[in-house]
Amino acid sequence: METIRNYLETMFAKLPNTFEVQKAKQELGQMMEDKYTELIGDGKSENEAVGIVISEFGNLDELAEELGIRNVVIQESKGADSGIRNVALAEVKDYLHDRTRSAYAVALGVFLCIISCCGYLMNFGRSWRSREVFAVSFMLLSIAVAVGLFLFSGFVMGKWKFLKEQACNIDFATAEYVHNQRESFRVTHAMMITIGVILCILSVLPVVIIDSLFGWSHGFGVVGMFVFVAIGVFLFVVAGNVNAGFTAILSLNKRDTIGGCFVPSQKQVTYKNETISQIMSVYWPTVTCIYLSWSFLSFDWHITWIVWVIAALVQQMIRAL
Amino acid sequence: MGSISSDIIRGYNDTMILYLLWDSPSYGYEISKQIKSLSEEKYVIKETTLYSAFTRLEKNGFVESFSENVTISGKRRTYYRITEQGRQYYREKCAEWTLTKEVVEKFIKEGMQ
Repeated sequence: METIRNYLETMFAKLPNTFEVQKAKQELGQMMEDKYTELIGDGKSENEAVGIVISEFGNLDELAEELGIRNVVIQESKGADSGIRNVALAEVKDYLHDRTRSAYAVALGVFLCIISCCGYLMNFGRSWRSREVFAVSFMLLSIAVAVGLFLFSGFVMGKWKFLKEQACNIDFATAEYVHNQRESFRVTHAMMITIGVILCILSVLPVVIIDSLFGWSHGFGVVGMFVFVAIGVFLFVVAGNVNAGFTAILSLNKRDTIGGCFVPSQKQVTYKNETISQIMSVYWPTVTCIYLSWSFLSFDWHITWIVWVIAALVQQMIRAL
Repeated sequence: MGSISSDIIRGYNDTMILYLLWDSPSYGYEISKQIKSLSEEKYVIKETTLYSAFTRLEKNGFVESFSENVTISGKRRTYYRITEQGRQYYREKCAEWTLTKEVVEKFIKEGMQ
């Protein structure tokens, strides 16, 4: 039955996502399923039944008039859309594998960048000179490794650039595979984010605890805080990147075709007005700039966060336009 | 004996479907099965052909569709019911076929192969 479903989905994948097409797909699927069930009931083997059902399916050309897809069918037969690259399941698996590797590399790089300053925070009883040397070498070393990791991630992902640059599509079986992968990652994702948030919130604990326990800390408390935050950020980056990989694959298919709705990937916000949508693409970076400039210029960090609240409100209002 | 030319039979898919719906409503696979068995497996209608015929018949008001729950699986299935116009159209098609057959028959000679 799975084979038949895949066959049907693939046949319909490039057709426009309209009510008529959806209905036809459902009806045809029902007929095929009925036939398949009966053939199996008659004692046919699975392969035989699938063969018979598919051979008696017919041709979608016949439906072109009814479905208003004459144009699509003609294009198809002319091979006009041969520019679309089909990404096979094996490739997708490779991609997801690479994406995960690069996610860990980037996350580790970010982790190292965050803790790179820790050398300066340590306060051993040694001489000022040796502390300086230790701090600088620790910082340079972590940043060097971090940059290495970023480059590595860039190399790994380099070969997948075509996914963004070229029109690609995936078939139903692949979409379903990726969807299942994403579903099974969902719990891990939630855990990573939760633990990350908890670590960030608790990041002041080392300072408080170590200071109150020993009365002195040699800076270990602050280092602990940085490590907590770094682990938290590490988790965010991994979770986000791996998830982005699934989404990238699932949103390859064009949204207005049946293929585009194999799996609901993510709600894409669309603005009706072209100008507004262009402005909105730089909206959040601009807000970040405003926030940082205001904060650093005035050092009123206790109040500047209000920028985010206002920005979110404004965005909602623009969306409602 | 060769197989049926789908060009020729296409004009009569509607007639077959209307005939099968005459007494009671039915659904896609049931109809394709009946066509197969009544034609003694000489004609197997393709799913796409059948669906295309259904939509055409419905657009012309010869059949009405309604969906009903299939008890076992809880799925909904589309049933088709013949309308009065459909019966009228069927009678016309029958008359047309009788005439067609009469005419063509005159040019068919046994044992000419």
